[in-house]
Amino acid sequence: MGLGGGYFKTSHAADLSLVDTHLRKTALAILVIVLLTLPRFASGFVLDLASQAALAAVGALALNVLTGLAGQISLGHAGFLAAGAFTTAALVERGVVSPPVTLAATAIVGGVLGLAVGIPSLRLRGLYLALGTLAMHHVVLYVAGEMQARAGGNTGFTIPPPRLAGFVLKGTVAWYYALVAAAAVVLLLSVNLQRSRAGRAFMAIRDRDLAAASVGIDVARYKLAAFVWSSVITALAGTLFAWQRGFVSVEAFGFFVAVEYIAMIIIGGMGTALGAVLGAAFVTLLPYGIDAAVATLSPGAAEYYVFPAKFGAFGLLMALFLIFEPLGLVGIWRRVRNWFFLWPFRHRPLRASS
Amino acid sequence: MRRPVLIAALGVLTLAGALPAPAQAPEPYRIGMTAAITGRFSAGYAPTYEAYRAYFKRVNDAGGINGHPIEITYEDDRGEPQRAAAAAKKFTEGPFILMINASISPTYKPVMTEAETVKVPLLFGGGVCPREAFPPAHPLIFCSTSYGSKWDSRMALNFIKSQSAGRKVKVGFAAQDIPLSRIELEFAEQLAKELGMDAIPVVVVPGAASDFTPFAQNLKDAGADWVFSWAPWGVEIGVFEALHRIGWKGNYILYGHQQAQDELTRLKTPNLHALTGNAMFTENLPIHAEITSLVKGQTNHPPHYMAEGWTSAMVLDAGLRKCGWPCSREKLAQALAAVNVDTKGLRGGPIEMTAENHYRRETYYKIYRWDTDKSAIVSVGGWQKLDIK
Amino acid sequence: MVQTLATTLVVASLYALLGAGYVLVYRASRVLNLAQGDLLTLGGYFLFAAAAAFPGAPAVSLPLAAALSALTGVLVYLVLMRPMAGHPVFAAVLVTVTLGILLRAAIVFVFTDRTRHPLQNLALTNPPRPLPGGAVVSTFDLVMIATATLLFVALFLFLRLSPLGIQMRAAGERSLLASQRGINFHGVFALAWALAAFAGGLAGIVYSSNVRLEPSLDVLGLRAFAVALVGGLDSLAGVIPAAILVAAIEVLSIRYGNPLLSDVSPFLCLLVMLLIRPWGLFGTKEELERV
Repeated sequence: MGLGGGYFKTSHAADLSLVDTHLRKTALAILVIVLLTLPRFASGFVLDLASQAALAAVGALALNVLTGLAGQISLGHAGFLAAGAFTTAALVERGVVSPPVTLAATAIVGGVLGLAVGIPSLRLRGLYLALGTLAMHHVVLYVAGEMQARAGGNTGFTIPPPRLAGFVLKGTVAWYYALVAAAAVVLLLSVNLQRSRAGRAFMAIRDRDLAAASVGIDVARYKLAAFVWSSVITALAGTLFAWQRGFVSVEAFGFFVAVEYIAMIIIGGMGTALGAVLGAAFVTLLPYGIDAAVATLSPGAAEYYVFPAKFGAFGLLMALFLIFEPLGLVGIWRRVRNWFFLWPFRHRPLRASS
Repeated sequence: MRRPVLIAALGVLTLAGALPAPAQAPEPYRIGMTAAITGRFSAGYAPTYEAYRAYFKRVNDAGGINGHPIEITYEDDRGEPQRAAAAAKKFTEGPFILMINASISPTYKPVMTEAETVKVPLLFGGGVCPREAFPPAHPLIFCSTSYGSKWDSRMALNFIKSQSAGRKVKVGFAAQDIPLSRIELEFAEQLAKELGMDAIPVVVVPGAASDFTPFAQNLKDAGADWVFSWAPWGVEIGVFEALHRIGWKGNYILYGHQQAQDELTRLKTPNLHALTGNAMFTENLPIHAEITSLVKGQTNHPPHYMAEGWTSAMVLDAGLRKCGWPCSREKLAQALAAVNVDTKGLRGGPIEMTAENHYRRETYYKIYRWDTDKSAIVSVGGWQKLDIK
Repeated sequence: MVQTLATTLVVASLYALLGAGYVLVYRASRVLNLAQGDLLTLGGYFLFAAAAAFPGAPAVSLPLAAALSALTGVLVYLVLMRPMAGHPVFAAVLVTVTLGILLRAAIVFVFTDRTRHPLQNLALTNPPRPLPGGAVVSTFDLVMIATATLLFVALFLFLRLSPLGIQMRAAGERSLLASQRGINFHGVFALAWALAAFAGGLAGIVYSSNVRLEPSLDVLGLRAFAVALVGGLDSLAGVIPAAILVAAIEVLSIRYGNPLLSDVSPFLCLLVMLLIRPWGLFGTKEELERV
C-alpha cells in the first residue's frame, strides 16, 4: 500500500484496519469533521451540490464493483436507477409509503433486474455484453415510460418525502446528512468487498476469467453476484433519488446518465472505491464549474452557447482521461503522493520491497 | 462682517441641498423563468426566452415599470423535469415574486408543487396550459399560451364540420405518445362522434420515429377525409408530410406552433391547415413590424417565432403595472387575476383574466392555409371566438 | 401491401447504410462506433452548410458534404482511435461515446437546436413518385434505396477485387501479420473510418433531404446497431438481411401490431439475437471469444 516506511503492523487487527497511518487517520478525522459541520457555514446551494455528489457516489461505487472490479461492462446503469425510482413511484401509486417496505421492495426489484441483465453475461463478454446491457436499458426505459403514460395522464409521479416514526426526511440539510451517510456506508461496504474473498474473485474474473475458472472460482456465480450487488445498490440509490427530488419521470434516466456514471468511474480511476467517489464529485461539480468559468470569461453569453459548452467540455474531459490518463484521478493522486514519498529521489530503487 | 458670511454659508448650504443626491439604483422586480432554451424541445420554447429578453430590455431602457426595472433570471431546464425542479427551488428560496415556466409539460408538476408550497404565482408562457389555469382556477397558476386542451379540439372539429358541407366525413387523429396529446385526441375522437362525424381511432406516433410513413398508411387505409393532429410540431408535420408522400388527398389540420408559418411556405400544399391563436406575421400588422424591428440582432430565431413569448411578456407587463410598488407575491397574484391586456392584434382580442379564470374569458383562433393561386398564406375566415367557461 | 414493402425497403436502406458503417469500423478497430448516429447528423449538417454556402448548386453541395464526412472519419481515426490502440476495448468504445458527445455539442454550438431543411437551399424538390402496385414513395425515398444499393455494390467490389480492399480485409483480420507483410495498416484503418463516416454521412444527407435535420437524429444510429449485431458485427454481407429483418419487424409492428412497440423493437431484436446467437446471422463465431 505504499506506506513509505516506518510503519510496522504488529497485530492482526492493525493489518485489517482500513486506515493505518497517522496521516491517514488525521485526514479522515478532518474530513469527517468538515462533512459534519458543513451545513453551518455553507449555503443551501453548496449543500445541494454535496448531496448530489454523494448520491452520485453511491451509484458510481456500485458501478465500480461491477465494471471496475468484476470487469463486466455495463451500459445500462441508468436502467437500474430508473427501476428503483419507478418501483418507489409504483408503491406510492398504490398507497404504500413506508420507507422500510419501499427499500425492501426496491432491493428485490433491483436484484431481479440485475439477475436478468446478468444472465447474458455468462455467455457474452466485452463488447457484446455492453450491447446487451444497452438494449436492456432501452427496454427498461420503455416499460417505465409506458407505466408513466398509463398512470392517468400524469407527466410523472410525485413522491412524498419519507416518513419514519413521525420523523419526516425533507429539507436540504436533512437530505445532506442522509445522503452523505448513505455514501459513507456504501463506501465502507465497497472497500470491504474489495478486500474480501468475493472481491478477489471479481478481480480474478476481470483479469482473465478462464484462468479464474481453472483456479476453482465459480465464475458464473460471481458474475451474477456482481450484477446483483451493483443493481441492488443502484436501485436503492434510485429510491433515494426519488425521495429527495420528490418527483420521478422517465426523462431523467436517459442514456446520457449511464454515460455520466461510466465517466465517473473512468475519470476517477476504474477499480478503486476512492476513484469512484472522486469521479462522482468531479462529474457532478463539472457543469457548475463551467458555469462559473463562462460567467467570469463572458458574462453575457446566451444560454445557447453555455449548454453545448458544458456538454462538449464533459465529452472532451472524458476523452482526455481515456487517452492520456486511463488510471484517472486516482492515478494522478498516486503519482503526486509517490513524488512526495520518494523525494528527493525521483524513482523507486529497484530492490524496494513495497 | 458675520452676517454676510452667515448668509453666504446658508446660501451655499441651500444650493448644496438643492443638488440631486447620488442616484440610488431602484429595486427591481425579480422574476424567475425556467425554459427549455436548449435541448431537443427548444424549438418551441427558446423563442419565448428570446421574446422576454427583448421585450423587457425595451421596458427597462424606457425606465422600467412604475419606475423600477424588471430583472428576470433565466434558467435553462433543457426540458428535463429535474432541472426545472431545481430551478423552481432556487426561485422559491430567493426574493422572486413570480415564476415563469416555458418548457414541456413533464416539467409542470415539480414546478407547480414548488409554487404551491411556497405560494409563489406561476405563469405558463409557452407550453400548453395546465388544467389549473382554467375555471375554476388555482389562485397561483396563470397561463398566457395561445393553445389550450379541449378548446383547440372544439375549434378544429367545428371547422372540419363547417368545411364538410353537410357530408359525413371520416376524421382521423394523429397523436404523439405523450399523455397530453393522447388524451386530447381521444377527447377529440369522442367529440367528433358527438358532432355526427365518423371517427377513426387515434393513431399514436412515437416522437422519435425514423419514418412516419407506416402511421400515415394506417390513416390512409382507414379512409380518413380529414386528419387532426395536436402534438409537438415534429409529429404533427411528420405525419402530414408522410401522408403527402404516399399520395393522400385529404385535408389536414394541426395546431400551428411557431414553425407553422415557415413550413406552410416551404411545403406549399393547399390541404394543410394551421389552427393558431397567434396572428401570423404574414398579415403585416403594425405590431408585427414593431417586433421585427425591435428584435433585430437580439434573437437566434426569426421574428415571427416571437408572437407567443411577446404576448406572454405583455401579460406580465400588465400584471406588474397593476401591482404597483412594492409588489409582493400575493399582490401580484391578485393583480394578474384582474388583467385585461390589449394584444394589439397578436391575438384575436384582449386577454382578460378573472379570479376564476386564469386563462382568458374569450379565446380567439384563426385558421391559415397556403393558397396556390395567390402564392401566399391566407386565413380561412377571420377570427373565431370561443367563450371560456 | 406493396406500400408496406416499399416503406420497409426505405427504412432498411437507412439502417443498412448505418450498419455498414458499424461493420467497417468493427473490422478495422474491433470497436463499436457508438457515434455513428452522430456521424449521420454531421453529414446532414455538412449538407446544410454546403447548401447555404452554395445555394442552388446541388452538384457542388452534395459531393462536398460527402467528402467532408469522409474527411471527418480520417480525422477521428488519427486523433481519437489511433492513440487508443493499446487500450482495452471498453475504453475505445467509450472514446466513441465521447466523440458522439463532442460532435453533438459542436453541431448545437454552430447551428443551434433548430430544425433545418437543406433541400430548400439546394433548389431541389421531393415530389411523390407512384410505383407499380399502388404504392407511392417520395423521390428521396428512392434515392435512399439507390444510395444503399450502390454503396454496398461498391464496397463489395472494393473489398473483394481491389488491392487496397484486400489489404483492408487482411489488416482487419490479423493486423500484426498484415503490418509485417508491409501493409500500411494505419492508412488502411484510416480509410476504413473514412468509409464508415462516408456511409453515415450519405445516410444523413439523404435523410435530412427526405425528412428533416435536427441534432437529435443520432437515435437512428442506436437503432441501427441492432442491425449490425443481428447481421454479425464483422459481416458486411450480413447487414443487408439484418436491415431488412429489423425494418420489417418495426414497420409490421406499426401496421399490424402495437405501434408503440415499434420504438423498442430493434432493441428487442438485439436482445433476442444476443441470447440465442450472439455472433449474429453471418458473423464469425471466434469473434465472441476474441473479446
